[in-house]
Amino acid sequence: MALALENVSKHFGSLVAIRNLSLSFDVGSIYSIIGPNGAGKSTVVNMIAGSYSVTSGAIRLGATALNRLPKHRIAQLGVSRTYQNLRLFDGMTVLENLEVCFFPQSWLTFLTGAKRLSKAERLEICHACLAEFHLSDVADVLAGDLPYGRQKILELARAFVTQAPIVLLDEPAAGLNHTETKDMAAMIAGLKREDRAIILVEHDMEMVMSISDRIDVLNYGELLCSGTPDLVRTNERVQEAYLGTTEELDDIRKLAQSRRAQGGLRANAGIVRH
Amino acid sequence: MGNSVIVRRLGLLAVLALCVVLLALVPHLPSYYVRVVDSILIYIILAVGLNLVVGYAGLLDLGFIAFYAVGAYAYALLASGQFDIHLPFIVILFIGAAAGAIAGVLLGFPVLKLRGDYLAIVTLSFGEIIRIAINNADDLTNGPQGIAGLDRASLFGLPLTTPVHFYWLLLVLAITVCGGVYYMERSILGKAWRALREDQDVVRGLGINTTTLKLLAFALSAAIGGAGGVIFGAFQRFVSPESFTFQESLLVVLIIIIGGVGNIVGVIAGAVVLVVLPEVLHFAAQYRLLIYGVVLVTVIVLRPGGLVSPRFNLGFIIRKVRTLWLSPSKT
Repeated sequence: MALALENVSKHFGSLVAIRNLSLSFDVGSIYSIIGPNGAGKSTVVNMIAGSYSVTSGAIRLGATALNRLPKHRIAQLGVSRTYQNLRLFDGMTVLENLEVCFFPQSWLTFLTGAKRLSKAERLEICHACLAEFHLSDVADVLAGDLPYGRQKILELARAFVTQAPIVLLDEPAAGLNHTETKDMAAMIAGLKREDRAIILVEHDMEMVMSISDRIDVLNYGELLCSGTPDLVRTNERVQEAYLGTTEELDDIRKLAQSRRAQGGLRANAGIVRH
Repeated sequence: MGNSVIVRRLGLLAVLALCVVLLALVPHLPSYYVRVVDSILIYIILAVGLNLVVGYAGLLDLGFIAFYAVGAYAYALLASGQFDIHLPFIVILFIGAAAGAIAGVLLGFPVLKLRGDYLAIVTLSFGEIIRIAINNADDLTNGPQGIAGLDRASLFGLPLTTPVHFYWLLLVLAITVCGGVYYMERSILGKAWRALREDQDVVRGLGINTTTLKLLAFALSAAIGGAGGVIFGAFQRFVSPESFTFQESLLVVLIIIIGGVGNIVGVIAGAVVLVVLPEVLHFAAQYRLLIYGVVLVTVIVLRPGGLVSPRFNLGFIIRKVRTLWLSPSKT
């Protein structure tokens, strides 16, 4: 299954957030969308998930046009996501946060057309997922009571528990410290599967460079460059776009240098995240 | 098995026995007290029903009494000389619940996109619209004079005439409603409602149709309100629009807020407090609303979550009883 954006534009009033963007995401890979602040990264995610309507163009999942469908239908078709700011159900337990994802597969299947899962099956899947994400010990803890890092992981688990073929991750490393970010990167890399496309919007260049199969660079709502991490790292237009705007350029340069110096990817210690 | 376990089990039995004895004693009280208990039970049913919408789904509905009115008038129209229709009570009970559910969905549709204050205002208006419509539909409802001389109800051949009869009926219904709502709360539907209360957008992003979810809450809650209304009609054998003013809606919401939002035990406590209080303070009847105000403010200042802690819910009690009975070593 493939997700494709075809000539997608998004206008907010007179502001053009995305201009004629065409991208295609196949299952089996990890994709990253990067770009300076305001480049339209989150807009892309929100359009795919159905939070934003598309001004022109089309978004297709396989043969199905997503951009005319309500948000919950898009999710049912297999697009799941995380949010830039944590949005867990704080007053519910960790297990319940996952369980509720299977509501469309409960007795309401006559409305959703989904395959029905019994309560036992549902719980089995959720417990397996908790084990996979190392959350079994806190299954009955309220999500709001977890430390921040584990809340981030729970949100990740919630995006993956239904085995959606398209998973959108909106800044999974935001607010995490260096070690946590590395763990998060390893965890996401480990979630790569033949029947799943992971699309990442992330500022942490180390994470992006280390786990992506393809990086799409956006600038002012347009695709600047698209390719493997090595290609993007050395692209001059990318460096120009970042020049003097954010620390990300430094990250890219440092990584490029260290890679040249050592012939490999090295931990880029000492970068303070906000 | 140690002595302490036996003592605890005996204690548990004693508490259960006490509850049963108290409930069994009610019919032997003077009629006035039985009526008060009946009133408490009716408000428990209403508040537990409204709690589905307010407490679980997080939608503030200030027009709940409209569904109660629909049920009461269903009985008044279908079991009186008004149109000379005399259907059996049990049939009207289901008709009233169904009519309530339909009214709930009719209210639900236009307000789906509203939240918070806006939703409260529209539902408040809906409650008033129903009351004013009843007040003016002279040919159908006799307008402000109301409909009197409703049929004496009976259930499976047993007469339902005295407050004691209604006590048993209401007790069974209240337990059924509490049990049913508790089951729903624990089911995945209840979890989806709680999620809806926390973050509607995320719920939609999980593939859940929030429209269906809200309409279900409105319909179920309104069905309970409608059934309560049928019993009210059969009990009073007289209905008039006066019984369904905004103040009544407010009282049901107050019961939930004062008892503990989203907690069945809290709602029961709230109903007891708010029904008994005006009876105890009968001498100050004209200050009834003032008293409600003072109680509300006091509770909100001292116990913002309601009188009963969210932890002390039906699930907690059932778990306690179960562990004490099955594996007392864990307690």
